[in-house]
Amino acid sequence: MPAKFPSEEWLAALKEKLNTDPKYADIAKNWEGDLCYAIEADQDFPQTMTLYMDLWHGTCRDAYMVKDGQEVSPAFTISGEYGNFTRVLKGELNPIQAMATMKLKVRGNYGYIMRNIPTVLDFTRCAQEVTVGEG
Amino acid sequence: MLQPILKINLATREISQFKVPREWLYDYLGAASLAARMLYDHLTPELNPLSPETPFLWLNGPLTGTAGPAVGRFVICAKSPATNLWGESNVGGFWGPELRKAGFDGLWIEGRAETPVYLWIHNNQIEIREASHLWGKETYNTQTAIQSELDAKNVRVAVIGPAGERLIPYALVLTDHGRVGGRTGMGAVMGSKNLKAVAVKGTGEVPLINWADYKAPRAKANRALKEHNATHYFREVGSGGAADYFDYLGSQPKKYYQAGVFEGSSKITGASLTEKYLTGVSACHACVIACGRVVDLGDGIKRKGPEYETMVGFGQNLLIDDLAATVRMGELCDTYGLDSISMSNIIGFAFSLFERGRLTLADADGLSLDWGSVEAATQLIHLTARREGIGAVLAGGSRSMEARFGDEGDAVQVNGLEIAYHDPRGASGFAIVYATSPRGACHNQSDYFMVDILGQTDEGLDISFHSRHAGAEKAADVARHQDWRTVNNALVLCVFASVPPLTVLELLNAGLGLDWTMADLLRCGERAWNLKRAINHRLGLTRANDKLPKALLKPYENGGSAGYVPPVQEMLTAYYVARGWDEITGRPTPAKLQELGLGWVVEDLWPET
Repeated sequence: MPAKFPSEEWLAALKEKLNTDPKYADIAKNWEGDLCYAIEADQDFPQTMTLYMDLWHGTCRDAYMVKDGQEVSPAFTISGEYGNFTRVLKGELNPIQAMATMKLKVRGNYGYIMRNIPTVLDFTRCAQEVTVGEG
Repeated sequence: MLQPILKINLATREISQFKVPREWLYDYLGAASLAARMLYDHLTPELNPLSPETPFLWLNGPLTGTAGPAVGRFVICAKSPATNLWGESNVGGFWGPELRKAGFDGLWIEGRAETPVYLWIHNNQIEIREASHLWGKETYNTQTAIQSELDAKNVRVAVIGPAGERLIPYALVLTDHGRVGGRTGMGAVMGSKNLKAVAVKGTGEVPLINWADYKAPRAKANRALKEHNATHYFREVGSGGAADYFDYLGSQPKKYYQAGVFEGSSKITGASLTEKYLTGVSACHACVIACGRVVDLGDGIKRKGPEYETMVGFGQNLLIDDLAATVRMGELCDTYGLDSISMSNIIGFAFSLFERGRLTLADADGLSLDWGSVEAATQLIHLTARREGIGAVLAGGSRSMEARFGDEGDAVQVNGLEIAYHDPRGASGFAIVYATSPRGACHNQSDYFMVDILGQTDEGLDISFHSRHAGAEKAADVARHQDWRTVNNALVLCVFASVPPLTVLELLNAGLGLDWTMADLLRCGERAWNLKRAINHRLGLTRANDKLPKALLKPYENGGSAGYVPPVQEMLTAYYVARGWDEITGRPTPAKLQELGLGWVVEDLWPET
């Protein structure tokens, strides 16, 4: 069931979506790499938050909110202000454009990302489809 | 410009210096824009670009050598032997900053030396030295030979190869570790003057009006650039990293702009190059990006790896899926001194004509010019550089090949310059860019795909994002982006550097002691764009020249841009309106010229008024 971003419910909905969506399963079948969304505060969201997703061969093996002090070292970290994440999730901003223009900062293997553009775009589609409200 | 221009007549061996009028610095900033002003009076329709009379100008920008973000470049300008129109090609590496350290902001070269020579500029000591023993040598060998005979450390040498000596109109000038001024045939102009190389060594300080105010914003700008996603991307996968995405979108041409899909495409990408062959990176002067590729193909030899254009030109464009072969063919172009964009494009045209039966086995000296043939493509590079057999035809460029073997519009070029590997069917803004660029089909007078595909609508430019397949509604934005890139080419600021325009403004204001707004800066770009247009009209260009070749007006049957062609005429009409140009002739109107402070051009451009 769609949920508000960012929340435990949203992560659970995304995990469910990624594990049941046949299109994603096919496109992402070769993807190996966990991912963090590091959300930075802005005027609409005055706190920081980190979301962890373990993405593996077209499935999501795990997804959770990272607690204060908890250490994670994912293959990819996407960071940016809350407003820029929500623009992507509302379909107002193309995720590749968000990265190219530094609205979302990316750390990780760029070659791997470029090799897997269809996966990046379809992951975004899934995330958009489980998002309601402002997020 | 703060330092003098060195004027050298190779025929009389006279050497002198002159200063550029101070007001021109404010009107044109430097490099390509300033060169247009300096060369204007000399660029007549009668002037043969390869004649001794042709002035040949090498210019730095006002920030070259200041270790600002990606501003280590210089430009080479002359009437182009490829287009017979305005010619410019900017180059990275270290040569430009070295010339500034030697005490000069540029070179004005004229005349033809009686025998081959090279220039040796060592601070204020200028020598014209014998180069007969170097004539015929390849580019890198020439650099090494000159560096060893000059007996000085860190000498920067700009050279031509055999292609420049043989006046091939797409011959390049190469500096340092394979940084090239590839487009518009500046290497042929150099060859026509019997000038094999220009070696420079400087030990002075690079001048700037206001160093004190410049250093803090410079440090801030370099830090921001270093952290930018695009910088990480360029360092890790090079410009060829875009190949995967452009392939996905259908904005990357294949089979000489005739196919939307190529099965082997995923093998020819920056990511593949990194995975298989990358051993290091290389950078231009003080650049934090380091987009240059250093590769090892397994033979233990460190080679320059290809950037996007060379990779795709010898890869997808020829239906070749052998990545190592694209490295070798790019290297071959560099060593002979051939522009890899034009060379690969021309080979694609030859393959296409061969497939259609318009160019026969007999015409091709028995070579079977089949799609995907590394052997045929490699052989054509050798033959072209030597002007042997079919190579003598290819050496004339695709426009002359079309006249001999094809039909009008077959050659994928505009005004004599072969098109780069960004397809307007994948990002429509390029329809205008290619049709109106002052140096023929050029992707660096505005890399508008960065707006169309990557949404780069930087603050300060007042450019909106439109769909990559939108039409006339983006014409005014394309014009504005051209003005912005004209500013970049005046500085010279590398187009790979994601430096926000407002940061560029801050750096310029600080370093040059200016108090400009973005409007002032863009106006400076617009002025030079219009001046180059005026030069081209003076050289015979008309509105009829603003067009695309046939291949780009036929929709792809498959791929990410299948079924689409840009509405070129509608876009151009909107563009002329946005530019303030006459819609019938395509010329800047007298009112527009006056508005830009180019009133002195009106009489030449509008003699009837």
